[in-house]
Amino acid sequence: MLGVIALRNLRQGGKRTYLLGIALALVTGLLVTLMSLSNGINDSLVRAATTLAAGHINIAGFYKSTPKESAPIVTEMAPIKAIAEKNTPGLTRIIDRHRGWAKAISETGSMFAGLYGIDVAEETALFESLQVASESDYQDDGRADVRGDPRRLSEPNSVVLFAAQARRLGVTLGDRITLRTETLRGMSNTVDVEIVAVMQNLGMMSSWNLLLPKQTILDLYGLDPNSTGAIMLYLDDIEQSPVVMETLRTAFDEAGYTVMDHDPRPFFSKFEVVSGQDWTGQQLDLTTWDDEVSFMSWILTAIDSVSFLLVLVLAVIIAIGIMNAMWIAVRERTREVGTLRAIGMSRGRVLAMFMLEATVLGFIATTVGATLSVILVLSLEAAAIEIPVNAIRAILMSDTLHFVVSPTQIATAVIGFTLFAALAAVWPAVRAARLPPITAIQRTE
Amino acid sequence: MNPVAGLGLLMRMALRSLWSHKVKSLIVGSLMAFGTTLVVTGTALLDSIQSAMSRSIIHSLAGHLQVYSSEAKDELSIYGGGMMSGNEVGQITDFSKVKQVISAVPNVKAVVPMGIQLANMSRGSDLDRAFTQLREAQRQGDSTVAPRVIPRIQRLLGLLESELVNREAVSSPEVKKTVADQLADVRRVMKPAFWAEFEAAPMTALDFLDTRIAPLGGEGRLMYLRYVGTDLDSFSNNFDRFQLVEGEMVPKGARGLLINQRFAESRLKLTAARLLDDLEEGRQQGVSISGTPDLESKARRLGTLAGSITILLEPKDAKALEAELAEFIRPVGPPTNDGKTQVFDDLKTGTRFTVNRKTSPDPDAYDANLDRLLTAFLTMDDTTLAWRYTFFYDALGKRVDLYPFETGDVVTIRSFTKRGYIKAVNVKVWGKFVFKGLERSELSGAANLLDLMTFRDLYGQMTDAQREELTAIQAEVGAQDVARENAEDLFFGGDDDTEEAETETTGFSEFAGVDLKRQRRATVDERRFDQAELDEGMAINAAILLEDASTLAATQAAVQKAVDDAGLKLRVIDHERASGLIGQLAMLIRGILYVAIFIIFAVALVIINNSMVMATLERVREIGTLRAIGAQKRFVMAMFMFETLTLGLLTGGLGAAIGAGIITLINRIGIPATNDIMVFAFSGPRLRPDFTADHIVLAVGIIMVVTLLATYYPARIATRIQPIEAMRGAD
Repeated sequence: MLGVIALRNLRQGGKRTYLLGIALALVTGLLVTLMSLSNGINDSLVRAATTLAAGHINIAGFYKSTPKESAPIVTEMAPIKAIAEKNTPGLTRIIDRHRGWAKAISETGSMFAGLYGIDVAEETALFESLQVASESDYQDDGRADVRGDPRRLSEPNSVVLFAAQARRLGVTLGDRITLRTETLRGMSNTVDVEIVAVMQNLGMMSSWNLLLPKQTILDLYGLDPNSTGAIMLYLDDIEQSPVVMETLRTAFDEAGYTVMDHDPRPFFSKFEVVSGQDWTGQQLDLTTWDDEVSFMSWILTAIDSVSFLLVLVLAVIIAIGIMNAMWIAVRERTREVGTLRAIGMSRGRVLAMFMLEATVLGFIATTVGATLSVILVLSLEAAAIEIPVNAIRAILMSDTLHFVVSPTQIATAVIGFTLFAALAAVWPAVRAARLPPITAIQRTE
Repeated sequence: MNPVAGLGLLMRMALRSLWSHKVKSLIVGSLMAFGTTLVVTGTALLDSIQSAMSRSIIHSLAGHLQVYSSEAKDELSIYGGGMMSGNEVGQITDFSKVKQVISAVPNVKAVVPMGIQLANMSRGSDLDRAFTQLREAQRQGDSTVAPRVIPRIQRLLGLLESELVNREAVSSPEVKKTVADQLADVRRVMKPAFWAEFEAAPMTALDFLDTRIAPLGGEGRLMYLRYVGTDLDSFSNNFDRFQLVEGEMVPKGARGLLINQRFAESRLKLTAARLLDDLEEGRQQGVSISGTPDLESKARRLGTLAGSITILLEPKDAKALEAELAEFIRPVGPPTNDGKTQVFDDLKTGTRFTVNRKTSPDPDAYDANLDRLLTAFLTMDDTTLAWRYTFFYDALGKRVDLYPFETGDVVTIRSFTKRGYIKAVNVKVWGKFVFKGLERSELSGAANLLDLMTFRDLYGQMTDAQREELTAIQAEVGAQDVARENAEDLFFGGDDDTEEAETETTGFSEFAGVDLKRQRRATVDERRFDQAELDEGMAINAAILLEDASTLAATQAAVQKAVDDAGLKLRVIDHERASGLIGQLAMLIRGILYVAIFIIFAVALVIINNSMVMATLERVREIGTLRAIGAQKRFVMAMFMFETLTLGLLTGGLGAAIGAGIITLINRIGIPATNDIMVFAFSGPRLRPDFTADHIVLAVGIIMVVTLLATYYPARIATRIQPIEAMRGAD
């Protein structure tokens, strides 16, 4: 009954209701869009992080031959892998990669790049989430049908690049590039590698990583074949990473390994600290995937705080609008309220009537706003719009605008705003409920 | 009705009706005030940051404008924006032409050539220096040196041995073989028998040391050095943030390096001293170690660094230090827990503390006791920090080198040319400098200054003669286009007169210093150069400083036109663009603020409009009556607009005042810069934002436009009200 009255009253409110509704819908839509963007960035981050940079948990470490020098190496990998396999609940996959750092040089250009030495047979997930690029993706007059095969990384001295790198180096499939390690002692080693595939970009992180066969890195650095760069563990539930990491830490401690204190930063930020420490030999360093990309997380924090502030300010404005509209509704309908009270409606019912009106308005408007913005976000996602500015690409960690819609978040937003609208109506509604029936009827204005 | 009386009437009516519709006025007014506050604070803050950042950028490195080759693959980024990719920004082949053309443009004060590069720097290995000392002494027949130097060599060899053992453990089988050979050599020298041989036939032994052992010492500690090669004279005259704080300016026409003090303090200084400085800085700012995770971790690290200090001490200094330490730090009992735990008394402060270490020192090592005492000394807390800080610099500062090199020393800079060849140049460090106000910014502190001639040597610059030769070769073979990088191969691929070392080895340098072709030590290039030599060569980019910065955009266009007319293939960008990612970030933040303000006002417009429509409907009788007694539609419209305008001015003024108050308040307190980017963006440790009349005018202006727009529709409704409606009784 009250619901029907609320709807009728809203319709009678006419323009007032529509304008208010539009404002409310706009703000909800904005919030949903911003949240989807934030989710999208998070998604890009997780994807790039867990396919390219890290496992859910990483067992890496440093080997120091002198107190001042450190190399990102794990020696004697086999027993470490065995301990990890035994002590990781929910382990789905375990791989290892070698790490390196080199200057890549082509006929026409050069760049620095991080090297990942991989075993193609092990990397089942990597090539599912990376896509092979056509030559036309990285050369202005490139052929669309020229595509490489990343599986050829099993051949010695091969390399897989990303499109941005191929463009910078001005190279294409089958070309050879020279990798030169720049080392601390004024020496360098080189290797010539053949490009067997070029992959599509995966945001900023793909701009500085190359994929090579493990053996090439071993040769480049003259390393013992039993060593590796990092052992990467994948779990069935990524949320469990911090817990499992702690379990592993204890396991390695007990097995007699020296494990570094947890430092939530990527390995390449730790050289300075490690080189300043007074030990030699091997120490293990356990991290979760988000540690390895922690240098990017400020971006998410920034976007979330800006969204929050903006939506907060808008919510205040909307609250003022709702209060105003309800206030006027109360004044306009003073006689009606008086009559209702005179024929026996309780104060509580009057209060409920006005509150319900605001709630219904809030619910309809926010639902419409949320629905429209979901449609907008989904079509933007489908259109895969390219981002023109490098800084924004770097920040959004993707070359195209990427959104992820989270139903629970949207439901929370809709419910939150509806309640908010109801709250804004409390004061005018209380005023209406307090009107004595007799004055209400007498008022002729 | 005369206009003045009309205005007066409108004013009175506006005030009356604003008063009589208090709720509406309050709602609309508070929205307006809120909006104005937001605009004033937002734009004032942002402008303050931007002008602070511009100050940072312009007067430390970038100048007002930058020019660089229009054939560049990447955008110029003074602070290194290309993440880890090497920036390819082309080059200016003949700077003198550029200087001549641009200097002629009005408003240009100076054109400063530049080139930015990242390179390695070292001071040679300790072993190498010790061997040289030995050889010198032998040559001069000085017998006092050997007894002093040999123990030091023994100690260094001990370290080298453990280093090689560690390397062997992680090397591939073939590298292992080489390392094993090296290890055999080192162990041979460590035996007394070798030094007996040395007594007998010093020159043969020295040859062995020089050819077999010295190469294993590598290049000593290497550091990354980011430098700006420039005309130092012109740079120091034109960038007024530049200030020399130690040593002297590189004389005109001489080669030399100036080190940024921030870089020296945060990158070069002995790690233990650096950590101690951080703790002391915290203490002076009233931040205690306990409860501050960052400082706690630094204090922990400091406690592990005794070994890095004892290694630097001469034997007699080690004894002296041990005695001095023993006066203030006394073990309470013998170590427990495998020698890892020991309790000490701090006699200065009368506190007792426990030292827990991960490994215990070798009890047979000659400096085991010093190691324990020093570890105890470096294990500090809030009570003991003050005196130990002073003691550290008094007792240790004079005995160890806190910096790998001092002003006046010669360092070796080693860089990779585009093709990856290594070039090495020796250059003298003349002094240290700061960028005033940016002393604490790592970002601006990363830039050191090098003379342009040395920069060109390191960059792999071709001389005119080489270029002519190249042109001749091209003509001869009819080559279409030899890329610059390939041309470089032609000239630098071989062993020519510039210092060049390319080593093809199979081994991770840290782990297998094998087959090293020793780099020839170049002497310092003492040749003087004149201004013409300096100008008539290459540069990567050039900074342009202006007389009057307010006409920056116009001058930028004028400079671009001038270089285009002269046929120079150059791109002119402003300082914000030149600062790379940081500048783009500033633009992005401004973009976000404007979008946010736009959205906020769009919503506010809807709400204000809504309120006004409501208010109008309430005033049907009043307006109808006015119309009945002869008021024209125009008058009703004017009345509404005037009313809003009055409200807008009042509340907008109020909002602006609040905004200005907030900014003044922040100005008093100052926003502290908590991280490096903030120091840079704030151009100092605190941001003290200011507002100008522009911010107020802009904010009030925006609010007036918004409210007038919001009023237009309700006012139109009001003008349509017919006199008759006023008489229709109740509603």
